Amino acid sequence: MSFLALRVNKIHFLLAAFLSGINIFLILTIAPQNQLQPDFGNIFYIHVPVAWTAFIGYMLVMIFSILFLWKQEQTWDHFALASAEAGTMFMFLVLITGPIWAKPAWGHFWVWEPRLTTSLVLFLIFLGYFMLREFGGNPEQVSRYAAVLGIIGFLDVPLIFLSVKLWLPELQSHPQVGQYFEDAGIMPVLMITYSLLSLLVVISFMIRFRVHNLKRRETHKII
Amino acid sequence: MGNLIWKELINEWRSREMVVSMFIFGLAVTLVFAFAFNVSPVLFRQFAPGLLWVVILFTSVLGLNRLFSYEGDMDAHWSWISAPIDRGIVFFSKLLIGFIFLSMAELLFIVPFFLFLNLDVSFSILFFLGILILGNSAIISIGCLISGLALRANMREVLIPVLLFPLASPVVIAATKSTVFIFQNKPFEEWRIWILILFTFLLTSALLGYLLYDQIVEE
Repeated sequence: MSFLALRVNKIHFLLAAFLSGINIFLILTIAPQNQLQPDFGNIFYIHVPVAWTAFIGYMLVMIFSILFLWKQEQTWDHFALASAEAGTMFMFLVLITGPIWAKPAWGHFWVWEPRLTTSLVLFLIFLGYFMLREFGGNPEQVSRYAAVLGIIGFLDVPLIFLSVKLWLPELQSHPQVGQYFEDAGIMPVLMITYSLLSLLVVISFMIRFRVHNLKRRETHKII
Repeated sequence: MGNLIWKELINEWRSREMVVSMFIFGLAVTLVFAFAFNVSPVLFRQFAPGLLWVVILFTSVLGLNRLFSYEGDMDAHWSWISAPIDRGIVFFSKLLIGFIFLSMAELLFIVPFFLFLNLDVSFSILFFLGILILGNSAIISIGCLISGLALRANMREVLIPVLLFPLASPVVIAATKSTVFIFQNKPFEEWRIWILILFTFLLTSALLGYLLYDQIVEE
């Protein structure tokens, strides 16, 4: 059965495609531009909401992991895994859109800027999280290990951010996000992007959760 | 906890495999760095803090692999899992023993490190030892947690560095920065923030280890 054969998937897909179209149209036409970063700077409208969504995904991993260790119910583990997958997908987009913005703005694809570096480190931690899920051993133990890693990984974020921020203080003079927020006109477009991405993250979360649940049922059937 | 540490020390005294292998590995990496960065002593002095912490991090992986795996070989870890003691205490004993072994290996390879890279010792030894102790304990505290997670994994040798390096990045940054300031004989007020980061990291990972170790070792 194809992905779109399921009615709920078709509705989600059409809704997301429609909103994405409107969103891109608004960013390219009515969204206010920054004086210092004309044209290319409008990637801000995608990059910042994507980053927030990714961080929310990872925060959910920590919350669901705590709930799993506390309640010992498999559903929380599936929730944590689905959030990790959705979060990582969005974090990957952050690492794509960040360098695209960085090249014209700063002259290099990669700058060891705290936000970008923290995103990269967090992305690497969660790649390790998936490796642990895959090669960790017994599935029941792996769920517990992954929950522990999900908690440690997210709690490490403030320290990573702080240490990178202090590491190269000369790189702290990039007010690229602050510049945009000086213009009140950005809010409507930005809010639409936030809503769209929240919807996308919920959809991807639901799809992955359903997949993990089906996999578990299949495994139980085989046993 | 004393008994657990004593057991590890006797075991190491008989086999001498962990400290010796960590020392030789540290020495070999130092040698590779000396060949790879064939630059003037002045430049070496700039790179040295970073190189030193890379050697320590790599060496710690070797120790962490062994710290848990030799008990897993014949399922001997069952004896401390089933022992009527708080598992958080087991975590602390592993942390302490890992710290002792890493520090011993480090004391052995730090002299050749300075000799091979032509570095002169014109800084406060006390501060330097302090940062080594703090950095080692921070790396080992997060490393013990990771080693526990990878205890029964099929690819534990790969998983430990893959998980440890990004998680320990604040430690490497803070320890390297502090060492740079120590080498430059800068006053403590200028770099105490890095010590604060190291302490916070150490306390957080040790506390998490104590609280979550029960979940990690449970069968």
